[in-house]
Amino acid sequence: MRGTLNRRELARLAVLGLAAAPRLREEDTPPPVRRGRVGVAPLAAPAGRAVDPVLAHRAVAAALAAATGLGNARAAVAALFRGEDTVGIKVNCLGGPNLSPRVELVSALAALLAERGIPPGRIIVFERSARELERAGFPVRRRGGPFLCVGIDNDYDREPSTSGEIGSCFARLVSTTCTALVSFGVVKDHDLAGVSAGLKNLYGLIHNPNKYHDHNCDPYLADLASHPFVRRKLRLVVLDGVVAQCHGGPAYRPDGSWPLGLVAAATDPVAADAWAWKAIDAERTRRGLPTLAEAKRPPRFLATAERYGLGVGDPAAIVEVRA
Amino acid sequence: MTAAITRRDLAVAACAGAAAALLPRPADAAPPAVGAPVPADALPAREASWYRKLPEGRVECQLCPRGCQVADAERGACGVRENRGGTYTTLVYGAACTVHVDPIEKKPFFHVLPGAPALSFATAGCNVECKFCQNWEISQFRPEQVAALWLPPEALAAAARQKGVPLLAATYSEPVVFWEYVRDAAAACRGAGVRPVVVSNGYIQERPLRDVLPSLAAVKVDLKAFSERFYREVVRGELKPVLKTIEVIRASGCWLEIVVLLIPGLNDSEAEVRALARWVKSNLGGEVPVHFTRFHPTYRLTNLPPTPLATLERSWRIANAEGLAFAYLGNVPGHPGESTSCPGCGARLIHRIGFEVLENTLKGGRCPTCGRTIPGVWA
Repeated sequence: MRGTLNRRELARLAVLGLAAAPRLREEDTPPPVRRGRVGVAPLAAPAGRAVDPVLAHRAVAAALAAATGLGNARAAVAALFRGEDTVGIKVNCLGGPNLSPRVELVSALAALLAERGIPPGRIIVFERSARELERAGFPVRRRGGPFLCVGIDNDYDREPSTSGEIGSCFARLVSTTCTALVSFGVVKDHDLAGVSAGLKNLYGLIHNPNKYHDHNCDPYLADLASHPFVRRKLRLVVLDGVVAQCHGGPAYRPDGSWPLGLVAAATDPVAADAWAWKAIDAERTRRGLPTLAEAKRPPRFLATAERYGLGVGDPAAIVEVRA
Repeated sequence: MTAAITRRDLAVAACAGAAAALLPRPADAAPPAVGAPVPADALPAREASWYRKLPEGRVECQLCPRGCQVADAERGACGVRENRGGTYTTLVYGAACTVHVDPIEKKPFFHVLPGAPALSFATAGCNVECKFCQNWEISQFRPEQVAALWLPPEALAAAARQKGVPLLAATYSEPVVFWEYVRDAAAACRGAGVRPVVVSNGYIQERPLRDVLPSLAAVKVDLKAFSERFYREVVRGELKPVLKTIEVIRASGCWLEIVVLLIPGLNDSEAEVRALARWVKSNLGGEVPVHFTRFHPTYRLTNLPPTPLATLERSWRIANAEGLAFAYLGNVPGHPGESTSCPGCGARLIHRIGFEVLENTLKGGRCPTCGRTIPGVWA
């Protein structure tokens, strides 16, 4: 057996390698993270709850493009997700019909994923329970439609796993089924965490979030976000900021809400929350309310998350890119 | 012996107790039939008994020392109490996720009706998070995540009476988080000739404790360690309120036993065990039974070995040397430390192997050899 290659064989290998390179890059390169960058797109608050689906699609697409800096939503989604992915979109419906991500916005994201080539059966919108989804107006279904929509209900791992201070059973959707995650939250004040946006929404992935609200959820939210299930799979945060809430959360309070008129997106999950913090504090200041820090509930978990290397947690360091 | 109560037993007992008409009405849903499953999306909400309202629709729980301040739509750390529009509600009243007949030695109570069966029940939830919890599959979950049957207090008492079981034990998870249920079950026991007992972590505020204590025949408290650090890092609780609870129970005259689960390297040092024994002796007296039990790896402490027998025996010796008359060992079947001996003459009074009582020579609560009174609930 000859152990060396001649020049012709070498040249052939080189050509083959060049041909395979783009595909290898797609398979092996981790999705891009734009640290500290949050893309925002305007979407005016409608008179009622529902927004025009066309405007919703436009806003989500613009926010994604701005968040990634890739020019358009198609390129952004292609950079973040593979056609083979099973994408879980965790929505935060605790605020009920008035303070949950709008169905039109979530549908717009699902449509962008479908354009990427991800079939409807592998786009899964989920929340802790089917009941919460229904209250927020989502069509619960395990088959059919442009995306699936299910409650975790009681489908958790049988054993807990630990990350820092937390020890929890994860939804099997997260640990087992999905290869990619999107946290689709809202922009709201939270009585204990300070801010509920993209990271606080992740408490819905575990069976025992009630154990982890002390000390403004710090370090627990950062510990959860650094768990391998989340750290490896969370690709994107999208926030419905059409109407936001600066006071009285996490439940909906009309007197604490205001029309922020924005949809935000970020590949840096910590930055998304830091941006939300800034927006909430600006509105609180405008109303003469104490800032979250003055109210003794700053979202401390952001600094911890930044220390863990999960993203940028300082609101002053956030780069907001308007579409 | 562990015998499950069947749904038929419960239904019959409930009918016999004629309780249905008196059942508490959940705030937002009609209760299911007695013994029927509680729907996860229609938990039996009922206003909590120990809380206060705060401005802006918030509430402060006054049940356990955590004192959770809870905003609307949120739950306390226990996961079973929810603020619903400014009204704090318990979601587990009458929702028993576990019902079994166990020997009372399993709790363990060694000075309460030896060998008697106890109808034992629990709901989901707990107010601490012990990393070594043996019942974490119910204690660390929220009620909608754990299957439960609708068993109002009267049905429990009636079931115990119908089965000829003399004891009703709130146990397994943490009775503090279903304290209203415990209170009313204890009250229902009064007319049924059944004695209610509680197995608890003792992490409760004084007022709810005092409110229910007079109805109870006995309380066993898990004293999980004798250091605040352990309570903070391994339990997510505090030691000081637990010690206060133990003192209040002892002073009340309600029968008290203490269990200490010894975990290798975490709470089993000679110094800590000695300090604990001295505290018991000086604050409660030497006649409170203290059980040192063996740890088995579970939940979040699967990395540690079971407690060596030598550690258990050393702790037993320390407790005896410090003047505790009734120190016991647990989870070591067949060990002499499971049996009760007379502190006066040394005669063996109750011979146990595991949860079985092989012999009980007590006569009217006295040692048959020397006549010494042995404290406990014997008849």
